[in-house]
Amino acid sequence: MRLVSRRARAQWPLLAALLGVVTIGATVLGTCTLLVTRTAERALEVAVARAAPSAVDVTVYTGTVEGRDTPSVAADTRTVVASTLAPFPVTTTARASTVLRALPPGLATGTTVPAQAYLSGLDDLPARSELVTGRWPQHPGDAVLLESTAQLLGLTPGRRVRLGAELAHAPVPPIDVLVVGVVRPLPARGWDRDPLATAGSAAGYRDGRFMQPVNAYGPFLVDLADLVTTGATVDRMEVTAHPDLSHSNRHDLETVVEAVDGVDRRLAGTLGDRVQLARVASELPATLRSADDQRHVTAAAVLAIAVLGGVLAATALVLAGRLTTGIRADETALRSALGASRRQLAATATVEAGFVAAVAAALAIPASSALHAGLTHLPPLDGAGLTVRPAVVGAQVLAVVGGALVLAAVLIVLAIRPVPAASDQRTRRELLARSGADLMLAVFAAAGWWQLYAQPTDASPRADAVRMLAPALLLTAGAALALRVVLPALRGADRLAYRARGLAFPLAVAEAARRPQAVAAGLLVGLACAAGTFGLAFDDTWHQSQRDQAALAVGTDLALTLSTAPVAGDGAVLSAATAGAVSPALDRGTAVGQWLGSAGDAPRLVAVDTTRADALLRGRLDNDRGWADVGATLAPPTRVNGLAVPAGAPLVLSGTAAGDTPPVVTPRLMLQDATGLRTACTGPAVPLDGREFRLPACATADGLRLVAVALPVTADAGGGPVAVAVTLTVPPAGPAEDPTDGSDWTATSAPPIPSRLRDPTVMVSATPTGTTLRMAATVDLGGVEDAARTLVATAFPDPGPVPVAVSARFASEVGVESGSQLSVTVGITPVPVVVTEVVPAVPSAPGAVAVLADLDTLSRARAVTGDLTFPVDAWWVGHPAGPGAAERATALHLGAVATREAETARLIGGPLLAGLPAALRLIVPAAALLLLAGVVLHVTCDLQARAVEVTRLRGLGMSRRGIRAVLLGQHAGVLLPVLAAGAAVGALATRVVAPLLVRSETGAAPVPATQAHWPWPAEAALLAVLLAGCMLAVAVVVTVQVRRADATHLRVAP
Amino acid sequence: MSSEPMLSVRGVHRRFRTGPTVVHALNGVSFDVAAGSMVALVGRSGSGKTTLLNVIGGLDRPDAGTVHVDGTDVTALDEDGLSRLRREKVSYVFQSFGLIPVLSAAENVAAPLRMARVAPTERERRVELLLELIGLADHARQRPAELSGGQQQRVAIARALAASPQLLLADEPTGQLDAETGLSVMALLRGIVESEGVTVLVSTHDAVMMALADRVIRIHDGHLDEQAAGQPYAPAPDAR
Repeated sequence: MRLVSRRARAQWPLLAALLGVVTIGATVLGTCTLLVTRTAERALEVAVARAAPSAVDVTVYTGTVEGRDTPSVAADTRTVVASTLAPFPVTTTARASTVLRALPPGLATGTTVPAQAYLSGLDDLPARSELVTGRWPQHPGDAVLLESTAQLLGLTPGRRVRLGAELAHAPVPPIDVLVVGVVRPLPARGWDRDPLATAGSAAGYRDGRFMQPVNAYGPFLVDLADLVTTGATVDRMEVTAHPDLSHSNRHDLETVVEAVDGVDRRLAGTLGDRVQLARVASELPATLRSADDQRHVTAAAVLAIAVLGGVLAATALVLAGRLTTGIRADETALRSALGASRRQLAATATVEAGFVAAVAAALAIPASSALHAGLTHLPPLDGAGLTVRPAVVGAQVLAVVGGALVLAAVLIVLAIRPVPAASDQRTRRELLARSGADLMLAVFAAAGWWQLYAQPTDASPRADAVRMLAPALLLTAGAALALRVVLPALRGADRLAYRARGLAFPLAVAEAARRPQAVAAGLLVGLACAAGTFGLAFDDTWHQSQRDQAALAVGTDLALTLSTAPVAGDGAVLSAATAGAVSPALDRGTAVGQWLGSAGDAPRLVAVDTTRADALLRGRLDNDRGWADVGATLAPPTRVNGLAVPAGAPLVLSGTAAGDTPPVVTPRLMLQDATGLRTACTGPAVPLDGREFRLPACATADGLRLVAVALPVTADAGGGPVAVAVTLTVPPAGPAEDPTDGSDWTATSAPPIPSRLRDPTVMVSATPTGTTLRMAATVDLGGVEDAARTLVATAFPDPGPVPVAVSARFASEVGVESGSQLSVTVGITPVPVVVTEVVPAVPSAPGAVAVLADLDTLSRARAVTGDLTFPVDAWWVGHPAGPGAAERATALHLGAVATREAETARLIGGPLLAGLPAALRLIVPAAALLLLAGVVLHVTCDLQARAVEVTRLRGLGMSRRGIRAVLLGQHAGVLLPVLAAGAAVGALATRVVAPLLVRSETGAAPVPATQAHWPWPAEAALLAVLLAGCMLAVAVVVTVQVRRADATHLRVAP
Repeated sequence: MSSEPMLSVRGVHRRFRTGPTVVHALNGVSFDVAAGSMVALVGRSGSGKTTLLNVIGGLDRPDAGTVHVDGTDVTALDEDGLSRLRREKVSYVFQSFGLIPVLSAAENVAAPLRMARVAPTERERRVELLLELIGLADHARQRPAELSGGQQQRVAIARALAASPQLLLADEPTGQLDAETGLSVMALLRGIVESEGVTVLVSTHDAVMMALADRVIRIHDGHLDEQAAGQPYAPAPDAR
């Protein structure tokens, strides 16, 4: 103990260096442990607390509840759900819809089909809708209507309506309601679960209770409490419970998930036969599982960083230990000569190492807590809501103490191993051992890389040893092998340098090349440089991958998923709000021929305006292709013009047909707005008896153009072929418009039996009253009454097979290539397509079997078959202007808005994923710090050991300046190539390993596949800092040592 | 032989402070050395021999007094002047040889020539001559660790002679050599004095070396006490 104590006092700088290295290593381990424990747990809680209501809500659906049971069923359901989600506070909302009831005969005229209506009760109606006129229900019997329902039924506030008997149940009294207001449904407020999805009406509605279809209207919206007391049979009731998870913990969450898994059984037991059906739906268990998976994905990557930090610290410690052993060689030899046994030497080393470990652990525990807390106050952890105060946890203490002890053990091993010969020459045994170690490292590294390379692409969130160890192994092996290259390079430089005339330069190079101890710090310097550069590049690669994944997942800059059917002019409003390139988009499942895809993984069909593909589509392509290139192969050759229709102008239809009983046409018109949105408008049945009929105002907005007309011809009585002629007159749009539009109007007979309508023609002409579209054909009226005989006139020719780009997975699974012809089903219409491009993935459908098409062309292909419905699910916006575009788009209440930017922020700064960038921010400075510490330690020891030699150089007549130049040159000669080799190893590891380490949030391989990124400016800055730091450290040490190189050394030298 | 002494030391004092203790390593040392002579500086360990050599060579500065080498006041030179002095006029031979470990014998010998920026051809010729002079031409490519002690010291002497110095300071050059090897090194030094006309100031304990010297200067506790050349070494009266 006395020896250790005295030696500590005498060699305190050395001991401080050892302590520093062990402390840094233990601190890195402790901080990483806190990231994978405390931060990860907190991240889970924050992620759950921030989850969208739909991700954590528990909804109970009950079906067909007799009126007398409705109050008790509603109450019991709320009780069961609330108890399931205990101990979290719960808020419940409920809605219910009655079975259909007869409407008074005075409403919904003009049809012989029974008109039915239903009531819906919502207990938070004002939160789900916007009052347009009137007031909210306040008294029993008060009801409000959706705009659409009110318009169709001609109801205004103040009208009383008696909803009659329920058709399918025992007679119950009619219900009188007073219409007190008209409302507009708000998007994403659950209106999709309205029986008519807020359409307001549905012709030919079948709810399973009637054999015959009815015309359904509704809902009549009343207060839920009012509804359950009416005694009406409830067709469907749903109770949604939203748990407040803002103060959750893992244990409570797991308890709740278990309870949710078993709530079906409890509910069935509670409700018994009061309900015909009871079903519970909740995303909460899946949300927690997903969060847990993300936590594990992040933890695996953070642990890989921790292992790298540990290896770096161990390398630094081995260097420090070797230098210490070298400095103490004389002392050790003396003690051995005085009879100290190996055990006694070990005991001394253990006491010293134990002291170092204890002090390092004592320092590293608060240091790691403080560092961790500091990290959580920096992006991305602070943005993820993971800010914490410094605290100590058990796992952290274990990691720090364990790490410090392991590192201390390294010191003991180094202290008791035989002291190497004083000579600079390595023994054959040492060289063999070094070669063997390098070879083993290389083999392990290659095996690790192969394991990573061959890992499955599917979700595998659990951390495995290979993913944790591979980066450290590869970097260590790379650094060790790079040193093998550096030494011959230095020797080559040595041969060249000796051609110089002076002494300083060749001597510096000779010192660097010929003295094996000159590169003693080479492994640490190379490894730390490799780790630092790799850390930066991995960070950039990970971020870029998240950006790529976000871009491909959203598919565009801003996607607005429609909650209700769009209307003409919506695109213009959205365009004004976002100032971006707006296009309607189709994004839904499809069938390829008869193939519906794998289970739960239907082929996806995505279609947008591909003439603006470059502005609209996002997601990385390969082979230097851009979306403009792909879009060019998909876009139609010309735009559709069509006939301009003034807003609100009545279109007039008349027709003639031979025969006594004129056939009837039910015209369907397709109008297109400036953004390419096409809306269909169906007119009333018009007899072809020569009279003119005004069609209801289809042109609901400015700038619409008529692009297609479908005329299904029906006749009450059969017969033979009849010539029919139909004229559609469009009022003049204005002097600037070409009345005849210049379009190539084409008439066709729609499938499936086009032969029933022959010789279709269409002609456009300008008249004083407007533009007329004259259509004619010969119709075979034989056969069944509703057989298809549809004359279709379009402002474009049949586009033929629609050109499509398919995803690589589509091409692989379906076995197609460019030129292949297929059929995809849109709605119920099969559309022939031809593959023109194979792309890695289709925007918004990452990793899916997906098809990308031009929406216009797709619509044309459907229109020529008589299907004038325009398949649209979303609006896509490219290049929205300003940061508030998403908010402005959301304020339009057209649907749910997702942006590439927000998705990127979620993937990068989400609480469950933010741990990795934080850990990477830790490893880069830690590597730099250890590198600098190693360099200072090495240079100091080197110069101390060579103090006499340095003084003797002065004796030879070399000035202090010259000696400084030699020493600086020597260390620069080693550091420069080693740093360069380390950077090369970092770059190589980035190229071959980083893409394999990045996983998606589910643990699967990311889509698109990760590409290595090497951030040149950041890397150059890091290398400059490392180089400058090294050279500054070397310069300071050299200057001090050279200044001290005076005659004192010669007097005391042997 | 010039009448002007090659080395003139006048009233040199040098003290070292070790904690509260002040050690007078040199205490008013004065002596002259004629050009082309070999002077032995003798004294027990710690008597100030090495300090005196360091002061003469400009590696150390006296607290008082002057040192003139070939008429140049060494004590008045700045750092660059001292370096130039050691490159051009004064050479050292150290007790532990002082060779640069990473350089071969030839490269060590060439070091002073490189500092003097001698042309490569001339440099190589001179290195070859010097190695032949010391009998190590066959060991030119060997590094110090591959040479024996005597060989290393001979290389050190060759290196010291490479820049054609006027004064050669040798600090116990045979201190780490066996008697036979030491003798050959001493003979080499004596031969150099004879053949090259170099002035040699050598600190030594060796009686043979003293016998080879033209003159012996004894130093004890920082004071000088001269004795006749060629006389056997006699310890100072107060020497233990």
